[in-house]
Amino acid sequence: MALLRTETLTKAFGALTAVNGVTLEVQAGTLHSIIGPNGAGKTTLFNLLTGQFPPTSGRIVFDGRDITRTPAHRIAHLGLARSFQRTNVFPALSILDNVWIAAFARGRSWRGLVWRRSDRYTEIVERARAALADVGLADKADQPAREISHGEQRQLELAIALAAAPRVLLLDEPAAGLSPDETQKMVALVRELKGRYTIVLIEHKMDIIMGVSDRVSVMHFGSLIAEGTPAEIQRNPEVRRAYLGGMVAE
Amino acid sequence: MSRTWLAVLAAVVVLPMAVRHAIATEIWIFAIFGLGLNLLLGYTGLLSFGQSTFFGAAAYVAGYLLKHSAINVFLALAIGIAVGAVSAALVGYLCVQRSGLYFIMLTFALNQMFYFIAYQWTTVTGGEDGMPGIGRPALLAVDFRNPLAYYVFVAALFLLSLWIMKRIVESPLGKILQAIRENDVRAEAVGYDVPRFKLLAFVIGGAFSGLAGVLYAMLFGIVPLEAIGFVFSGNVVFATLIGGSGSLYGPIIGSFVFIWLSESVSVVWERWPLLLGVAFVIVVLFFRGGCVEAWARFWSWRERRRAPAGIAP
Repeated sequence: MALLRTETLTKAFGALTAVNGVTLEVQAGTLHSIIGPNGAGKTTLFNLLTGQFPPTSGRIVFDGRDITRTPAHRIAHLGLARSFQRTNVFPALSILDNVWIAAFARGRSWRGLVWRRSDRYTEIVERARAALADVGLADKADQPAREISHGEQRQLELAIALAAAPRVLLLDEPAAGLSPDETQKMVALVRELKGRYTIVLIEHKMDIIMGVSDRVSVMHFGSLIAEGTPAEIQRNPEVRRAYLGGMVAE
Repeated sequence: MSRTWLAVLAAVVVLPMAVRHAIATEIWIFAIFGLGLNLLLGYTGLLSFGQSTFFGAAAYVAGYLLKHSAINVFLALAIGIAVGAVSAALVGYLCVQRSGLYFIMLTFALNQMFYFIAYQWTTVTGGEDGMPGIGRPALLAVDFRNPLAYYVFVAALFLLSLWIMKRIVESPLGKILQAIRENDVRAEAVGYDVPRFKLLAFVIGGAFSGLAGVLYAMLFGIVPLEAIGFVFSGNVVFATLIGGSGSLYGPIIGSFVFIWLSESVSVVWERWPLLLGVAFVIVVLFFRGGCVEAWARFWSWRERRRAPAGIAP
């Protein structure tokens, strides 16, 4: 059964229909990629899935439950965590606090919210440190987030999503703006997370997509124009015309 | 950490010897007021220009009851704290839905509304003349009409307030508020209901303002109309920024500078607000972190100057 499903999901901003009748099924335990040229509506789709804004029409079903108009802060508690395309961390807070915040949000109880010292929540601290270890930032825990490199901020971005103990991980271009070296590291990281989480991945870089995805959906001008395994997508003539062009021509 | 507490304790002991008791008392009252504002300004990143709403409302209500119902000191404080928290909940509920400039203007506009209610409702508040005749009921055998006794009482409440605020900013709530200040979109995305947390910050800040308001009314025996005016709201923002909004202790230093200037220098030189203006310009241009940052920079500058000298043969 699909863990996350959308039914003819549509979002219009005035005359612009950014997401147009998208019906998508993400199977539990898989890595499902969404590709498409710039402005195809991929990030808008993520914003709809995580409740950043409500859709114009259509439905979103997560684990058999309709979450269509659920506000963002509730969706996080259901186990849908996302990373952002443009780095979106808490700059003045330490790396550890960045992740701690996400871990605490999903904690079992908020007892002591205004009184208990935050470092006394050992279980939360451990989960935060584990998320940092997963992305390889454990040794920088005490540095403020604004002082680390762009590549490390991308890793932190991912760690914040992981610390929320998600059931579905929505990754919005995790390798955006990374050097080839850093991109390789990020690919290895995503590969490692695959299987542990159900992942929906938006990506531009084809080499990443084709290597790690179980399924690929292609978006173009707000609509899904194809879906299949990476191999099927690479052979699909419509996809080639719309997006891949010369990139897989060889 | 404990060194900072020692410094605060030393200040509490030394202050009444250095300045008049009334001024010393006012400094700690204003510091409590500043602590409450700074939870909003420094920790949550919300510039509230209407803190005197809660300060004044608490002063009027508790002052009225002190005058007419002869309630005891603790009841007066409890009522003041409750009035501060409830009025902050009302104002906050309307304000946290907006952000940026609209938020600031709304806190200001609601402050003006409360001001004109107090201005018009002369039978209760005394309007422009203020509400005089507020006593300081004795507690057990301690007569608070003695300025030193009242000073000790206020200073103890200030230390208690500081300790409570320290616990709050070191709690998960403190971290969440800072996360909201840094990036409210992400805070919402990881699972926090941002408007509700802002409202909680408002209520806590309002409770501190309410406490300060009652203590102020008892200190001067009167609630002047200014206590609920926008200038008063602005003063606590200025004081906090001059002291340093990035630190828990900033508002305390700010209160000291502000009250000392306004009460001591104003006697010598009636154009004293000019000094305040200059201090404010310096802070905005060079020391965004106020006195606290200036102090920290001075020490790191000294360290750097001394370090190479030590290494040189």
